[in-house]
Amino acid sequence: MKNFEYVRAKDPADAVRLVVERPGAAFVSGGTDLLNLMRDGAQSHDRLVDVNGMGLDKVTIGARNVRVGGWARMADVAAHRFVRQRFPVVSEALLASASPQIRNMATIGGNLMQRTRCGYFRDAASPCNKRVPGSGCSALDGENRWHAVFGGSDHCIAVSPGDLGVSLLAVDAVVLTSGPRGERRIPFGDLQVLPGDTPHREHVLDHGELIIGVELPFSHFAGKSKYLKLRDRASFEFAVVSVAAALDLRGRHVRDVRLAFGGVATKAWRSFAAEDALRGKELNDSTIEAACRAAVSGAVPRKHNAFKVELLQRAVSRVLHDLGGVR
Amino acid sequence: MNSPVGRAVPRVEGYAKVTGGAKYAADTHVPGVVHGYLATSTIARGRITSFDVSRALAAPGVLAVFSHLNMPRLTVPTAPYPKGFMPLQDTRIHHDGQPIAYVVAETLEQAREAADLVEVGYEVEPAQIALEDAPGEDFLPPPGPEGPYEVILGDAHAALERAEVKVDHTFTSPVHHHNPIETSATVAVWEGDKLTLHDSTQSINLTQGVVSKALGMPPENIRVLAPYLGGGFGAKAPVWPHTVLTAAVARIVGKPVKLVLTRAQMYTASGYRAQFFHRVALGGTREGKLTALHSFSNQQLSRTEHRIFNTSETSWLLYDIKDLHVRQHGVRLDISTPHFMRSPEGPPLFGLESALDELAYEIGMDPVELRLRNYTDVHPETGGPIGNANLAECARRAAEAFGWARRDPRPSSMRDGREFIGYGMATEAHTYRSRQANAVVEIGVDGRAVARSATHDIGTGTYTVMTQMLAESLGMPMGRVHFELGDTNFPAAGFSAASVTVPSVSVAVDKAARTAREQVVALAVADPRSPLHGTPVERVVIENGFLFDNADRDRRDSYEGVMGRYGRPVTATGRHINAPGYTTGVVFVEVRVDPWIGRVRVTRAVTAHDLGRVLNRTTARGQVIGGVTWGIGYALSEHTVIDRRTGRTVNPNLSTYLLPVNADTPTDIEAIFIDKPDPASPNGTKGFGETPITGVPAAIANAIHHATGRRIRDLPITQDKLL
Repeated sequence: MKNFEYVRAKDPADAVRLVVERPGAAFVSGGTDLLNLMRDGAQSHDRLVDVNGMGLDKVTIGARNVRVGGWARMADVAAHRFVRQRFPVVSEALLASASPQIRNMATIGGNLMQRTRCGYFRDAASPCNKRVPGSGCSALDGENRWHAVFGGSDHCIAVSPGDLGVSLLAVDAVVLTSGPRGERRIPFGDLQVLPGDTPHREHVLDHGELIIGVELPFSHFAGKSKYLKLRDRASFEFAVVSVAAALDLRGRHVRDVRLAFGGVATKAWRSFAAEDALRGKELNDSTIEAACRAAVSGAVPRKHNAFKVELLQRAVSRVLHDLGGVR
Repeated sequence: MNSPVGRAVPRVEGYAKVTGGAKYAADTHVPGVVHGYLATSTIARGRITSFDVSRALAAPGVLAVFSHLNMPRLTVPTAPYPKGFMPLQDTRIHHDGQPIAYVVAETLEQAREAADLVEVGYEVEPAQIALEDAPGEDFLPPPGPEGPYEVILGDAHAALERAEVKVDHTFTSPVHHHNPIETSATVAVWEGDKLTLHDSTQSINLTQGVVSKALGMPPENIRVLAPYLGGGFGAKAPVWPHTVLTAAVARIVGKPVKLVLTRAQMYTASGYRAQFFHRVALGGTREGKLTALHSFSNQQLSRTEHRIFNTSETSWLLYDIKDLHVRQHGVRLDISTPHFMRSPEGPPLFGLESALDELAYEIGMDPVELRLRNYTDVHPETGGPIGNANLAECARRAAEAFGWARRDPRPSSMRDGREFIGYGMATEAHTYRSRQANAVVEIGVDGRAVARSATHDIGTGTYTVMTQMLAESLGMPMGRVHFELGDTNFPAAGFSAASVTVPSVSVAVDKAARTAREQVVALAVADPRSPLHGTPVERVVIENGFLFDNADRDRRDSYEGVMGRYGRPVTATGRHINAPGYTTGVVFVEVRVDPWIGRVRVTRAVTAHDLGRVLNRTTARGQVIGGVTWGIGYALSEHTVIDRRTGRTVNPNLSTYLLPVNADTPTDIEAIFIDKPDPASPNGTKGFGETPITGVPAAIANAIHHATGRRIRDLPITQDKLL
């Protein structure tokens, strides 16, 4: 672990300045992922800018949306009554994440910026294009049971971790940032980028751009939403496959729908094809089956993760049946 | 007085543990201590061709960097040092994670940073890592301490040919790591020629012996201390290089050195459970009499050690099978040395107990009944009893408590909503050998007593049960007695592994206490000032710290009175070599499987065990809860993932090596104890800790078969295998 400087920021503008002026600087809030990455040599910084204690840790209810502060703790947001009622998928995704201790410490902004759990990325001795561009990808022909079937490239198939981001896709959430170019509103679906031949780039944020909040807009579908997480143990484990679904259902008629997946792709994965298979149609066994098939179109399974293609379809089917009350 | 033995006595060290008062090896604060960190190889096989420590030496706070270039030559000890070579002695790389440099710096962070700055070049040779990498290279190793790795009785192959019913399948289980919550740590402190080691070890005496041999110094100049351990499960029972190297470098730098292994280093710095392939062919009659067993297993070995650690001894002890052939092979691979892990019988029993379930279905017989018709208490070679006399009672009582009679044997026949319910069971068994243990008891002038033995509390409750034993043997209340362990200045005991601590040490404590007690009785009856003066010693009874004349209970004295008048402490020693033992039982589990998504939950477990006389119901039950929990991990999630191209572990951390968490564990675990004294032991105790994991993987796999009709013979049973 390299030596680093630790500084506390007074306010978001100060935090941005303190990071922008130092190319090796990073923000730290809960530290639940960053400190492990630094210890393991997967990431190193010469300055950490502590952004705790600047407010922006509350859930506020507005006329058109709920605004979650960038430093709100995962546990607080998950337990928030309004979030649970109006955005159940978000609350469920947060509760399915990590452990109670981590949820008490980790923040919303930090959760969205966590790094992949790919064992090769986290092992400083293994080649990894994400950690050391150009060094190669150990997972392509290695142990890739946990890796992506969507959005991968010849350079990287690491899964984007976390549950919150997947749920944000299902409610059309918008990320609010403050950075060297001022404040920005970025739809969550535009925040993460595919690895392509630059897998070290995971998002569109500039160096020193800070997530100060997340907006959850009210919609007809967000209130009827659900998160299903399948994993290799019952708790404290990342998804093998997860599904966030939101439905605007009038009778059996699907007026609108969101379907997003975790554990299967290099970024939180929204399946427009699966949504299109349902939107404007009646929700029944055959449209659900069509949506499941559409959900996995274009999947590229690897040696150890082909089961994800089958498991994802079953998970989508299960969620849609449960959410839509289809027996 | 009622003895405290057998009661649910809370842990005597519990308060110290939950308040942080218990000091583990890494908690040891020594003035002037400096910190070690190991740089380790990133290749599995080859040679170091270039080595540059200049950047590391120039880093802030660095005091020294030791490597093959400057490390003093150390003697490679034989067993219990299991490695076959000592790191930092030459350029040969035997496995990934092998220490190649030992950095010493003022702070841990500085040492760790400098270790990253060691520049090494390798000539890489092709490596073989997994069993699949070396087909046809397996061999029968020469006999080990347990005896030969091949046992033949009668003619199993002919008997299988003739068998009315048979099953023949291959079962596999992956590499597992112990993952004790406390990673291994050593603090080495030299004062002149004397060395003190604060070491997280399951054997302070073995550590003393191995370091003595490696460094060429007399063992009496080495004191090893291990008052507390955060688990071990076998990881800390042998002596691994980090302890030896820390002792050696501390002498050179002239300062106390502390080394704490990281979690990731624990995956190569100590042992682990080897990958295991197991073909089991089992034959029987239509009436459910087992007639033939062919058990052929293959497991990983390192190139520098050929002892088998997943032993199949239980294959010929549990059931009365006249014709059997058990053969245990190993394959030399470019891996760090596998070793024993709670419990070595686990992998072989997964195959055997799964095969029995399969045979039961072939016959159309209840799996419990099949076992009841074949359990034996006759050793196939000696003809003497094994220790299985109460196994049938275990099976009957656990079946009753579990409600086994409610089971519809047809697969997928029991359902609750989306989930299919499965019941499964298996026999559990663990063998242990003889160990010598010594203890000393001292009764002070205040009438209080302390016993000491160089044993360990690896988290199992040794402090508590020895205190109970001491109180009973002396006839004192718990509050007046005290037990100390974990110091080589105390009378020697064996390692705390193989579940052998209780049957060896508790008897030594018992013997020492009884001798001391006799001395106090003799003092009392000889003392004219004692109300018991002149009483025949055989009439003196002791209860609750008081000595009575059994014929006239108004005549009484106390330890406090006798010792106060005597004015000097009384001491006595005890020694015991336990008989080899076999501790068995039965486990029943209920699983609920959602087959659509492959999700398995273990919702209930009932066990019954014959562990001889139960010293403490709480700590014994703790072993059952631990065994069932670990068995759930074994069956459903645990798997060390090793990249076969490089030999590097892909998941060397508790985030991705999936031990069960609370949510995986049933709240409903019932532990039944037969609680009859073992006739082979002077105080009736048997070794127990490891038994309650051994049958759990097969019981869960059998239950999953019952729930789904799917027979999974490859562990862990992850959801993808059930789709």
